[in-house]
Amino acid sequence: MKTLLKFTIILIIPISAISQDKLPDIDVKDLKNRTVNLKSDFSEKDKIYVFSFWATWCMPCLKELEAINEHYDEWSEELNMELVAISIDDSRTKKRIRPLVNGRNWPYTVLHDENQTLKRALSIVNIPYTLVVKNNNIEHIFNGYSQGSEEEMYKSLKKL
Amino acid sequence: MVIVKVLRKRCINLSRNYKLQLLFLILISAYQVAAQEQEQEKDYGRLYGGIESNLNYYMKDSGLGVLQPEEPFRSNNYFNLNYTYKRLTAGFQIESYEPNALLNYNPKFNGTDFGTYYIKYQSEKFDVRLGHFYEQFGSGLILRAWEDRALGINSALRGGRIKYSPNSNFDFTLLYGRQRSGFEVTDGDIYGFDADIFLGEYLNLYEKGQDLSLGFSYVGRYEKVDFENANFNELTNSYSFRFDYIYDSFYLNGEANYKEEDGIINSQGNLSNDFVEPGHAFQLNMGYSSLNYGIDVTLRRVENMQFLSEREPQTFPNSLGDVNSSLDFLDGILNFVPALTKQHHSQLANINVYQALSGVSFLDPELMGAGETGGQIDFFYSFEKGSTLGGEYGTNISINLSSWYNLPGTYTFNPPDYDVDFFGVGNKFFHDYNIGLTKKINEDWHIGASYIDQFMDYRFIDGREIVNADIIVADATYNFTETKSIRVELEKMWSTGNRKDWVGGTIEYNLNEKFSFYVWDIYNYGSDKPDERVHYLNFGGSYRKGRHRIALNYGRQRGGLVCVGGVCRFVPESSGFSLSFNTSF
Repeated sequence: MKTLLKFTIILIIPISAISQDKLPDIDVKDLKNRTVNLKSDFSEKDKIYVFSFWATWCMPCLKELEAINEHYDEWSEELNMELVAISIDDSRTKKRIRPLVNGRNWPYTVLHDENQTLKRALSIVNIPYTLVVKNNNIEHIFNGYSQGSEEEMYKSLKKL
Repeated sequence: MVIVKVLRKRCINLSRNYKLQLLFLILISAYQVAAQEQEQEKDYGRLYGGIESNLNYYMKDSGLGVLQPEEPFRSNNYFNLNYTYKRLTAGFQIESYEPNALLNYNPKFNGTDFGTYYIKYQSEKFDVRLGHFYEQFGSGLILRAWEDRALGINSALRGGRIKYSPNSNFDFTLLYGRQRSGFEVTDGDIYGFDADIFLGEYLNLYEKGQDLSLGFSYVGRYEKVDFENANFNELTNSYSFRFDYIYDSFYLNGEANYKEEDGIINSQGNLSNDFVEPGHAFQLNMGYSSLNYGIDVTLRRVENMQFLSEREPQTFPNSLGDVNSSLDFLDGILNFVPALTKQHHSQLANINVYQALSGVSFLDPELMGAGETGGQIDFFYSFEKGSTLGGEYGTNISINLSSWYNLPGTYTFNPPDYDVDFFGVGNKFFHDYNIGLTKKINEDWHIGASYIDQFMDYRFIDGREIVNADIIVADATYNFTETKSIRVELEKMWSTGNRKDWVGGTIEYNLNEKFSFYVWDIYNYGSDKPDERVHYLNFGGSYRKGRHRIALNYGRQRGGLVCVGGVCRFVPESSGFSLSFNTSF
């Protein structure tokens, strides 16, 4: 137990100093099976990319993406931003991605991280999990969602 | 003698821990030096990783009929660290189950040690990796090496892997490894090859709004067999072919898998030299989606597709004097045959959960199966804003139907044998027909409702009865301010078996975007047994800030299956506190 505590303390103190600020160089597939590189395909200068990790079975994820969809036209025009919804559905539920995205009229770029390589590289434990990236730098991370917290995200996007 | 053993174990643990601490300090100070140097705009690489900690304190609970376990404090902790310098990346994951893993995790997860480690070289065309790696070929029906901490699965392969993509139209993978089991690996040697071919560009399909891709996989498992005249090969080969075709808003994809003849294990976990069969799995999926709606249909037939990295599962005596098999802990499984059913978020809809029958199961002369066959249909529709049913903000509905059956044919119990038909269905294992609706009423109110009809034949799983259940769920969220909200969910289940009727409710209060609190309860008021008529009351809260999240819970855990992605782990009834924390850096 003591050792465990020591571990935790040794580890947590320097974390804030060494936080990861770049996206990993990892390929994922889009819904048309085309390979997309997370680093090089989302690198337009000064554009804000919001990477939102979700799954068809994750209720808060669907709520978050629905809530953002309400404002999406407005936000993307005002802020030069794009939302990239990265599904971590595995082969059990991946069939639900295409019909759900269209059924709900989501305007987002949708990617599929089937064996969760990207999720693992970013050490994501639970979803929804959202990263805000500008000029290849991770500017903000939101670890979770509660109704209305998209407004908090919007405020932070406006400051970028 | 026992004392000596304990002391020796402690010494090993201590020396392991000191080594680990030293390693962290070296890495962190190296990084800090690097970070300072980086200010001078030199590339000293990048350090990244994450931490997850789940701590439980189990308590005696006479209302639930559980005793305090011998080690009431238990924890599962994961720390992973990676360092990338130019094209090279190296990393590891340390796992710490101290003083013991959470209840009913694989007993091989014990102590603190390196769980995985690797070194990787990545260029535009090559990705070469030594050490542990995760991999999935196609939909995983012959190979999936993955991690799911909530299920206690880490089936990474330890060996080497080369990925080669000469251009964007081809992906090739070649691998060799042994599968991780606890902090060790199993005895089977695993060989694999996979090819993905994207034909869209070659056949000028993109211009016509079409796309076609093909895939081929091979997986071989070599394990020495002890039988004198074995009726099957020591190397078991398996093959998979797949295609995916898209035409505008229509798509069609399929997969065919074949596993060569191999000895079958009986319900006691012993390998047979006389009951020898090949296995196969077929899957067909198609759908059409357009603005406002989408439909998807999947059909799958699986026969004798249990594929293990070691033919015979390992056994462990447990504290109750029974014997557990490594399969009870989802250990040593090489492929992935998930239940193709909807994963519900409601508490009560997760009481009768189906797990796909991937292999041969001969429990008694009445209960014999060699796999499963069936299908699933999904339909999504959104009523547009301003329409009669859509209202001011629109309405989303989803319908999901799934039915799974035994393979039809003739089965002989002794000597064990089967002869099954390709088409048609046998007796029904499970169905789940459900409909759900979500709607935003105005800026303050969001509502949702669903109805679920389930059928489950438990006789094939643990000899219990047939269950018919109806569940209704309703939820509403009210926003007091932009970020302060309350969510209330009510559930009710009528069931003909398996502890019968339940009722449940959840209240979740989101104080702001950082703090959330909840209390929920499910109550088995309809059970025939008075001692089962109990409440499973839980309350807790979570705090999240940026990349960090911490959550605390106090309450009762219902015994049964905890499922993620169609794969389930059994957990016993328990009561107590839990604290979980995760972050990344």
